[in-house]
Amino acid sequence: MIIIGERINGMFKDIGQAVREMDPKPLQEWAIKQQEAGANYLDINTGPNAEDQVVALKWMVQVVQEVSDLPLCLDCTNFDAIEAGLEICKKPALINSCPADRPKIERVFPMAVKHNAKIIGLTMDAKGIPKNAENRIALAMELVAAADEFGLPMEDLFIDPLILPVNVAQEHAPEVLEAIKQTKLLANPAPKTVLGLSNVSQKAPDRPLINRTFLAMAMACGLDAVIADANDDPLMATAATAEILLNQSVYCDSYVKVFKSK
Amino acid sequence: MALTGLEIYKLLPKKNCGECGPPTCLAFAMSLAAAKTTLDLCPYVSDEAKEALGAASAPPIKLIKIGSGDKTVELGDETVLFRHDKTFFHPTGIAFEVEDSLNDAELTQKLKEINELEFDRVGLHYEVDMVAVKQTADAAQFKAAVQKIEAGTKLSLVLITEDVASAEQALEACKGRNPLLYGATANNYSEMTELAKKYSVPLGVKAENIFALSDLVEKITALGYKELVLDSGARGTSQVLADLTEVRRAAIKKKYRPFGYPTVAFATAEDPMEEIMQAQVYLTKYASVVVLKTTAKHFVLPLLTWRQNLYTDPQKPIQVETKIYEVGNVTADSPVYLTTNFSLTYFSVEGEVEGSKVPSYIIPVDTDGTSVLTAWAAGKYSAEKIAEAINTIGIADKVNHREIILPGYVAVLSGKLEEKSGWKVIVGPREAAGIPAFAKSRYGA
Repeated sequence: MIIIGERINGMFKDIGQAVREMDPKPLQEWAIKQQEAGANYLDINTGPNAEDQVVALKWMVQVVQEVSDLPLCLDCTNFDAIEAGLEICKKPALINSCPADRPKIERVFPMAVKHNAKIIGLTMDAKGIPKNAENRIALAMELVAAADEFGLPMEDLFIDPLILPVNVAQEHAPEVLEAIKQTKLLANPAPKTVLGLSNVSQKAPDRPLINRTFLAMAMACGLDAVIADANDDPLMATAATAEILLNQSVYCDSYVKVFKSK
Repeated sequence: MALTGLEIYKLLPKKNCGECGPPTCLAFAMSLAAAKTTLDLCPYVSDEAKEALGAASAPPIKLIKIGSGDKTVELGDETVLFRHDKTFFHPTGIAFEVEDSLNDAELTQKLKEINELEFDRVGLHYEVDMVAVKQTADAAQFKAAVQKIEAGTKLSLVLITEDVASAEQALEACKGRNPLLYGATANNYSEMTELAKKYSVPLGVKAENIFALSDLVEKITALGYKELVLDSGARGTSQVLADLTEVRRAAIKKKYRPFGYPTVAFATAEDPMEEIMQAQVYLTKYASVVVLKTTAKHFVLPLLTWRQNLYTDPQKPIQVETKIYEVGNVTADSPVYLTTNFSLTYFSVEGEVEGSKVPSYIIPVDTDGTSVLTAWAAGKYSAEKIAEAINTIGIADKVNHREIILPGYVAVLSGKLEEKSGWKVIVGPREAAGIPAFAKSRYGA
């Protein structure tokens, strides 16, 4: 299970302020904190308040890489900013994200191949997010065909079937689970799957409970990666336990500890 | 193994005409992958696409049979790269190479040695499978050797010759035995394929390397023959290992049709000890047939033992034979330990009994290969079952006393077991590790 730590995001007050003031401290503290908790990637998002996203994202990449060797997940809708970030990433980065739109595919896929980066592909297009699993999979297939066309290794494509908040879009959750299952049938080797997990519990009470329950369910359907709160200990313990129950990691009594140190 | 959406999409004409139903070829590919539609609905589909869909439903490695009757050897039809993922199904065929240059007496002697390679060990029976006759001179000599060997053994045959005329005479000489004809090369493949077709025997295919092998197999299958056994031509251990791995991986992981056949490997080391080690590597890493020269029993037995071990099903618990085991120089006064026939349990007990320095008997009760507590919980280690085992195994004839030692964890059975068996039951330690101390205090070792 690949854990992508979500915390370095300008939507959070402390990070938003740090990006505005060019103060590296909060970013670096969260980088270390998430790494210690067992994150495998760090998501980097400037947030909506950044003056110039190219400058902001580049600066964020630099200051985070000063304190952490983890690969980064560049989370931005501005592809120029992502490209600027890719150029200074020390390790192969993850591009977050590319929808199944032809113009965007043609911009992002060649860039990823050039920089040896991986891509999170969203199962949505200009028409928005599909209701059912079938249409999500049709868009996933477009992304899979694009990976084949542009020469992106299939294991470097992460399909995100887009989970929506359970309090307002309840019928989407089972469709997302079905989409994760079917994604595995699209190609051999299969593309990976990823979720922006915290979306499932937006504005609902007891968010960690909803998050970790859905994580276990999604892992049973074949989820490979998750953008989530790496410092939510019960969530990490759930991921560790699900790996054991899916026979993905060899069992030992200290399996939670092993998971976090992997 | 269904094809993936992407694999199907690549085979489609990409016209996006919608005549199949779904609006695009991509959508049609996905319907096919989900088995919601059929390929016939596409009017523009190529033969290549049809072939690929057929390939998807075929097993990754074809089953090939060599020999006839009850000595038939089945090769191929494997599905995994690691036995722990499922199991290996068809044990590697062991063949012994015999040259046609041997005189009558030598040949008779060699055949006798090969025919006698049968072993009984720990309740199992091991046999070898094939004799490979190798041509060194003219067709007449080869034919004569094949005739003698055909008459002198029930084992399956391999004919090693690249000369078409010699091959035909040899095949005539052992009609009905379904030998492996080895083989086809880049120079003789069309004639050899015709010959294999005519006698309907499996055909060995040999090339310079795996790339040439792939080309050659495609040429032969284009001639309409698919009863093949593959040889990449490599002879050094490391290269053979690499080739065997590549062939198996391509067949299973990539559904690469030209490599979807069993393989043959030749042990070439001069020193028999090295030759057996070489053979062991090939046997372990996917060879369907291993050809060797040495027929010495003490070299062949370890190889057969390893083969038996490797090809056991990891899902099934390994069991020891249910009989009386004697540890050390036992007498009529030696103690008797009870355990189960689960290998892991039995050998833990045996090791500790040996360590106790007190010669003893051990009786593993047949519990379908389950451990003491597992068997007890499942009702397979009840007082009745143990009593029956004690009374039918013949331990009463071996000892003067009537005392039996029960594993400590099932102490609860002791009263009832005494009643049912008529033996005095001594509750031993819970763990086998406690046996040496238990034996020392009780039998004063």
